[in-house]
Amino acid sequence: MPSVSFEHVSKRFGDTTVVDDFTLDVADGELLVLVGGSGSGKSTILRMLAGLETVTSGTIRIDGRDVTALPPRDRDVAMVFQDYGLYPHMTVRENLSLGLRLKKVPRQEIDRRIAWAVGILGLESLLDRKPKQLSGGQRQRVAMGRAMVREPKVFLFDEPLSNLDAGLRAQMRIEIGSLQRRLKTTTIYVTHDQVEAMTLGDRIVVLADGRIQQLGRPIDIYRAPANRFVAGFIGTPRMNFLEGRIHHEDGAPAFVAEGLRFDVPREDVASVGAVTLGVRPEDLLIPSPSDQRPSTVTGRVVLVERLGGITHVHFDAGPHRLMAALPNDTAVTVGDDITLGIRTERLHLFDADGRSHL
Amino acid sequence: MRAEERSGWLLSAPYVAFLLAFALYPVVFALVLVFLRWDLVTEPAFAGGDNLRLLAHDGRFWQAVGNTFVFLSIHLPLQLVTALALALALNRPLALRAFWRAAFFLPVVISGAVVAILWSALYATDVGLINRLLVRVGLAPVAWLTNPATAMPAIAAMVTWKNVGFYVIIYLAGLQYIPRSCLEAIELEGATAWQRFRHVTLPMLLPQTILVVTLSTINGFQLFIEPYVMTGGGPLRRTYSIVLYLYTNAFSYQKMGYAATIGVALAAIIGAVVLVQRRLIGKAEAL
Repeated sequence: MPSVSFEHVSKRFGDTTVVDDFTLDVADGELLVLVGGSGSGKSTILRMLAGLETVTSGTIRIDGRDVTALPPRDRDVAMVFQDYGLYPHMTVRENLSLGLRLKKVPRQEIDRRIAWAVGILGLESLLDRKPKQLSGGQRQRVAMGRAMVREPKVFLFDEPLSNLDAGLRAQMRIEIGSLQRRLKTTTIYVTHDQVEAMTLGDRIVVLADGRIQQLGRPIDIYRAPANRFVAGFIGTPRMNFLEGRIHHEDGAPAFVAEGLRFDVPREDVASVGAVTLGVRPEDLLIPSPSDQRPSTVTGRVVLVERLGGITHVHFDAGPHRLMAALPNDTAVTVGDDITLGIRTERLHLFDADGRSHL
Repeated sequence: MRAEERSGWLLSAPYVAFLLAFALYPVVFALVLVFLRWDLVTEPAFAGGDNLRLLAHDGRFWQAVGNTFVFLSIHLPLQLVTALALALALNRPLALRAFWRAAFFLPVVISGAVVAILWSALYATDVGLINRLLVRVGLAPVAWLTNPATAMPAIAAMVTWKNVGFYVIIYLAGLQYIPRSCLEAIELEGATAWQRFRHVTLPMLLPQTILVVTLSTINGFQLFIEPYVMTGGGPLRRTYSIVLYLYTNAFSYQKMGYAATIGVALAAIIGAVVLVQRRLIGKAEAL
């Protein structure tokens, strides 16, 4: 039995449809990430599951029980908010214990659970502080501790890291991941950051305009994006897109765009006309004697970004601006002409509707 | 003098002049008057400690102090509860919310004398609207302003009604400052509506509560226009407030020195009470 299931759930505010026919099963103990831009409906889905937002149509189940009409307090879910939602007038200990005190949990049990959560999160020395006296990362941990001591059926995270600076964000991301693996509590995690989605999720759901664009394991979505939106959204640096056509010349398919032409020697390319071709920056390569590729693209370098580990080379191939992620020792400067090999086996083709073709 | 210094003095001069003329001068003048006997007509004469001795043994003054505390003991809790309840109601999604907010604020900007006359009509024993409603539901009419037991409570209720809009605005501002996530977090933790109010809303409104208590205490001690217009201090002097007694001494008996002494005593009482309140309510810095 799935831990959480959404069955044809929709949410409308007046004439605006925010979530459209959302259906999803989340397995017990799974960490599922909802990722999408603003207005994709990801937070609304989470808030409907928590009961903080009503459902226009459809059914939500937790452990098989229909909770669609239940108030938040009867759903046994705990949520970590973007701004943490800590009670500013209470100490860390009071923040952690309030929910249990409201539920009349025995004193000893409260102390046991707090000691357990505090030990895992390293909050021992902060129990008597107020939230104002804590750093961003510490507040984040208290918010997680408050969720943990409840021992709920489901953890909900609503963009929990977006108020932290980059370094702390990476650290807390790792902590949340290892914490979830340790507790094995079903977790639904909402973020706009595809790096968080890729690194945390057992599975991820890519959302746009209130609809599921793709659902799957992160690496599968990266390798085989279902449509152009997902291809552009998942993966940094972003995938290059070229508008053009597929021609079949003597049975061999080739991609033709303005000022650009290369073979696409793959048997799975059906005979199609107008397409968008997608190629990830790491699939453009400097040709070497050992790796000669028949398909190449040539252009003039307009910008070189040396990140240290790799170098991003932006170049114009005819009217098309492309970017390649090359080794850090690549000797190119602005104004150079470069010819790069294309890993044609990793190309993506999207038809006029944006759907994937390969 | 450097140019910057000169312009600094110039810029603050208007406010300094205002402060000297309308704040510092009256305060100093009142303190001086405490030691004078003056009827506004003849030359003031030195009175030594006579005014202070009189104050200490003046039963009417202490009765007025008692009356004012009776007023405050009704007005303060009533003001807090009504202001908070109305603010909570007006903070919810509500049809015609702007209208309701304006309606409850309107009495604040109406002259106190006008409100007092209006409420005298409402409280009238035979023809007043309140008693007519009481009679309609089968109750006996109440002599609101002429019964010594009900006169001060009636005035306290009216003053509360007049000022509630002002304190509602303070509470509304405080309510909007409470993060939504705090209320949602406690809702997810299983709290009922009352528990949400008790554990999040009310404690997070502590700074506003301190402000409302302090302001309505200071205002309440200056109770004057309502008893002056509605009861003249009666019945049986039960609505004689400190300021009304001060006014009577100054402008009916022309005892300016003694009136000033009452004024200084009032300021001291207000200061002491507010200090005690701050200690009792706790520290707003806790937030």
